[in-house]
Amino acid sequence: MSTVEAPLYPIAVLIDELKNDDIQLRLNSIRRLSTIARALGEERTRSELIPFLSENNDDDDEVLLAMAEELGVFIPYVGGVEHAHVLLTPLETLCTVEETCVRDKAVESLCKIGSQMRGNDLIEWFTPLVKRLAAGEWFTARVSACGLFHIAYPSAPETLKTELRSIYGQLCQDDMPMVRRSAASNLWKFAGTVESAHLKADIMQMFEDLTQDDQDTVRLLAVEGCAALGKLLEPQDCAARILPVIVNFSQDKSWRVRYMVANQLYELCEAVGPEPIRTDLLPAYVRLLRDNEAEVRIAAAGKVTKFCQILSPELAIQHILPCVKELSLDSSQHVRAALASVVMGMAPVLGKDATIEQLLPIFLSLLKDEFPDVRLNIISKLDQVNQVIGIDLLSQSLLPAIVELAEDRHWRVRLAIIEYIPLLANQLGVGFFDDKLGGLCMQWLQDKVYSIRDAAANNLKRLAEEFGPDWAMQHIIPQVLEIANDSHYLHRMTLLRAISLLGPVLGSEITCSKLLPVVVNASKDRVPNIKFNVAKVLQSLISVVDQSVVEKTIRPCLVELSEDPDVDVRYFAVQGLQSIDQVTMSS
Amino acid sequence: MLKQILIKLPRKLQKSDLLDSSGSDSGNHTSNSGNGVQCTNIGNSISSRLSVVKRVSSAVFPASIMVGVEAVEPYLSCTDVSILQKQSLFISKLNLCCEVSDFSDPDKTSAEQDLKHQTLIELVDFVSTGSAKFNEPAIAAMCKMCAVNLFRVFPPKYRSNSISGEVEDEEPMFDPSWSNLQLVYDLLLGFITYSSLDAKVAKKYVDHSFISRLLDLFDSEDPRERDCLKTILHRIYGKLMVHRPFVRKAVSNIIYRFVFETERHNGIAELLEIFGSIISGFAVPLKEEHKMFLWKALIPLHKPKLVGVYHQQLTFCVVQFIDKDPKLADSVIKGLLKYWPVTNSQKELMFISELEEVLEMTGMAEFLKIMVPLFRRIAFCLNSSHYQVAERTHLLWNNEHILNLVTHNRQVIFPLIFPALERNSENHWNQAVLNLTQSIKKMLCEMDEELVLACRQKMEEENSQSSEATEKRKLIWERLETAANVIPPA
Repeated sequence: MSTVEAPLYPIAVLIDELKNDDIQLRLNSIRRLSTIARALGEERTRSELIPFLSENNDDDDEVLLAMAEELGVFIPYVGGVEHAHVLLTPLETLCTVEETCVRDKAVESLCKIGSQMRGNDLIEWFTPLVKRLAAGEWFTARVSACGLFHIAYPSAPETLKTELRSIYGQLCQDDMPMVRRSAASNLWKFAGTVESAHLKADIMQMFEDLTQDDQDTVRLLAVEGCAALGKLLEPQDCAARILPVIVNFSQDKSWRVRYMVANQLYELCEAVGPEPIRTDLLPAYVRLLRDNEAEVRIAAAGKVTKFCQILSPELAIQHILPCVKELSLDSSQHVRAALASVVMGMAPVLGKDATIEQLLPIFLSLLKDEFPDVRLNIISKLDQVNQVIGIDLLSQSLLPAIVELAEDRHWRVRLAIIEYIPLLANQLGVGFFDDKLGGLCMQWLQDKVYSIRDAAANNLKRLAEEFGPDWAMQHIIPQVLEIANDSHYLHRMTLLRAISLLGPVLGSEITCSKLLPVVVNASKDRVPNIKFNVAKVLQSLISVVDQSVVEKTIRPCLVELSEDPDVDVRYFAVQGLQSIDQVTMSS
Repeated sequence: MLKQILIKLPRKLQKSDLLDSSGSDSGNHTSNSGNGVQCTNIGNSISSRLSVVKRVSSAVFPASIMVGVEAVEPYLSCTDVSILQKQSLFISKLNLCCEVSDFSDPDKTSAEQDLKHQTLIELVDFVSTGSAKFNEPAIAAMCKMCAVNLFRVFPPKYRSNSISGEVEDEEPMFDPSWSNLQLVYDLLLGFITYSSLDAKVAKKYVDHSFISRLLDLFDSEDPRERDCLKTILHRIYGKLMVHRPFVRKAVSNIIYRFVFETERHNGIAELLEIFGSIISGFAVPLKEEHKMFLWKALIPLHKPKLVGVYHQQLTFCVVQFIDKDPKLADSVIKGLLKYWPVTNSQKELMFISELEEVLEMTGMAEFLKIMVPLFRRIAFCLNSSHYQVAERTHLLWNNEHILNLVTHNRQVIFPLIFPALERNSENHWNQAVLNLTQSIKKMLCEMDEELVLACRQKMEEENSQSSEATEKRKLIWERLETAANVIPPA
């Protein structure tokens, strides 16, 4: 530090930095607002820093976004909750800017601050702010206002509450669809704070108005919140007020609305209780499962298991199961994939007999689907069926499916099935595995795609963990070590990768006797990439084997590599030697 | 009192009928044995609803609706009937076309589809020859027919059906019923542009709800459809003056949603094209409302990443504004600087060409207000490692108007851009850019050698100080940090 220190003016530093042309510097200084505030102390933060920030709102949106975020956690720096209200002014301005993400962040920060403020302060400072925004001239202010009512409302006195409700009602009928959309998507939050009498009267009126809006987009958002709103009501009120709207929407001519209903229906069921489910929601759901539009069927199919869980098994078998059969033959692969990802979960719900009799054929047909995602989704959930009926009934169809996926021409599909292999091994048991799948695991090690080879190596490690070292010695190691003689250097690299992963799992003895010689041998490879990977592997094995082996085998090998003509080989060899020294020193 | 009822009645009718037909799904069509049945059903229901009015005064209400539907078979050709009957035949044919056929179902007999197609062709001919007479019932029937056929919900954007899944499928979706839709659009256009059309009556049926649903269709993926819509909306704007403010407001709302919420819309280019000619029709001095449209809708439209799709139309609109009021130039340039792309070079190229167009219309007074931030940005662009961006920026100096502005303000501008030019000479990778930089430097020297020398000196000073400045900044923050830790937080 310089010996003669000029006096330090934290605010001046900030002002100076914010004038800089380089946006990165401006951003950095905003990110360190709390440092400036702490240097200033609480009082001057309140009287100088915050007013300055309130004025400084003409910057890039990126800087404003950072400011909105910082201010949300600023209460400690202005002197605690009793002074929190000073933070409202700069955030209020940020609520009115054009850029959506700045506004959203400002609203989020205001909610954070408001939820900590004391009741009286909320009435004195927060509520007036909400009212000002709600009366804002430009729509951005009014859009932001909608997200703040649920903070202001609870502590307001009765007359103010009435006023707030009526203001929200006006926002629901605003001239700008932007505002109505915001009102619709925030309604359930606000509703959560409103007393039940007003909930039934005012809020439900707003909900009904919004669901009849002439803009599709507004209605859509009203539907989106209906389940959350329904849970606030008594079941019978929910059944009387929300249910009819939703059942009606489930037949809307816009597929987007029906899609939204398909997503919400299950949650709504939780809010209405058993009787309306049977009479109204179940038929609506069945209609959605048979919708003309694939997108709607996808959404509905994805909920099939959850829906069955709240129904009695008889109802599920009678009404849902026939649809599931149809969906398993759907013309859209995405529908089938959505079904396949959940249908296995129906087994525990329906019980053993129904599963064998009704579900098994569906599983089998999905397992033979022409679209790989469908098969993968089935395989990924195998454990759920295993618990109910055991795997034997499926295993005959399973193997061809796995083999086909293992050889799929898209590497992402191959990758996905490799990742399920340990799960399969666990479910199918050693016997099945040895016969059928062992070969595949080796085949992947020599795949054309790096990610597959890498995943294959990792897969061997997980199998060794699952079945133990003895099994690995017998079934994995011999085949793996054979690769050392492969003519392709990328395959030899994969071997090294596999060894570095298997070593720690198999333990010191096997590593020394079987793996290490192969590695040391590879250090004489003609390809430099192999050699520096040898150095890396040796480094990773230091912690696995005994000190004596390190000194006797690993060190000489690394010393030799450290004199290699190739610079990268030397680099990694030296690194290896260094870590040997560290280990020796610490022990 | 009676008049009021009469005015309201047809509209309500139209609405309820719409609901009827939209509520029925494709399954219902197959259950109808033929179109004739369906048509008379509609006719009967209309007449039965109207009979109430009829009792009150049949003289006031135009009788042709009833006559049209009940008395004239819609299958007759227009040439086969007397002039008197023509009008009622016209309406019954319009009503016949309200039956929406389901093209997605290949099993359906094509007979009724053919019939509708033929009828539509006849109607288009009938209107285009000028022999139609658009009285109120005809207008009502026309609007209803258009609404039933055109106003539909677009299907979701289909996921690619190929197993690959990795190939981006950009093929636009075409409605299978386009052949009919196109005829309906032709008919609507013919109707709106019909020379003897009474705008006072038409505006009751081509109302706000009709227009806003028409605007929703601009999101269609089919460029042919958007093209039809563009022409029609333009004509509506021209003919139905009362709806102009509504159209402007509704389009603004579409733009707001696009910019601030979804960033997805297929028809922005078409909407802007209409606006291009609307703006050129604005009276000067510009109303505040129109300027707001520039600031709140057009300028933010520079932000979405899809700007390339409609940039040409957008530039045209912006230029129209400045043409009307050159004082707007500085706020436009400020807007461009605000939304200047950071990483997207293609977009940057568009911005530079728009900037050039705008600058060309910018006067000295406005230029003075923005030149500092503007040339800071230009300095960055000169240095761009994307050679097209760098090249394009250098070419700004070929523009005489811009050069003139620069020359007059060289004391401010040279210091801003000279360091950038120097940086290019030192390490730009592209030979073409290097050459351009060289020639601009030469140009600057010829203009004011003394100033260039001063700039060079100042730059060298700054360069030597820059590491010092970084060091100083680090030190200040360290001291702040210490100070902050001395005073404990509450």
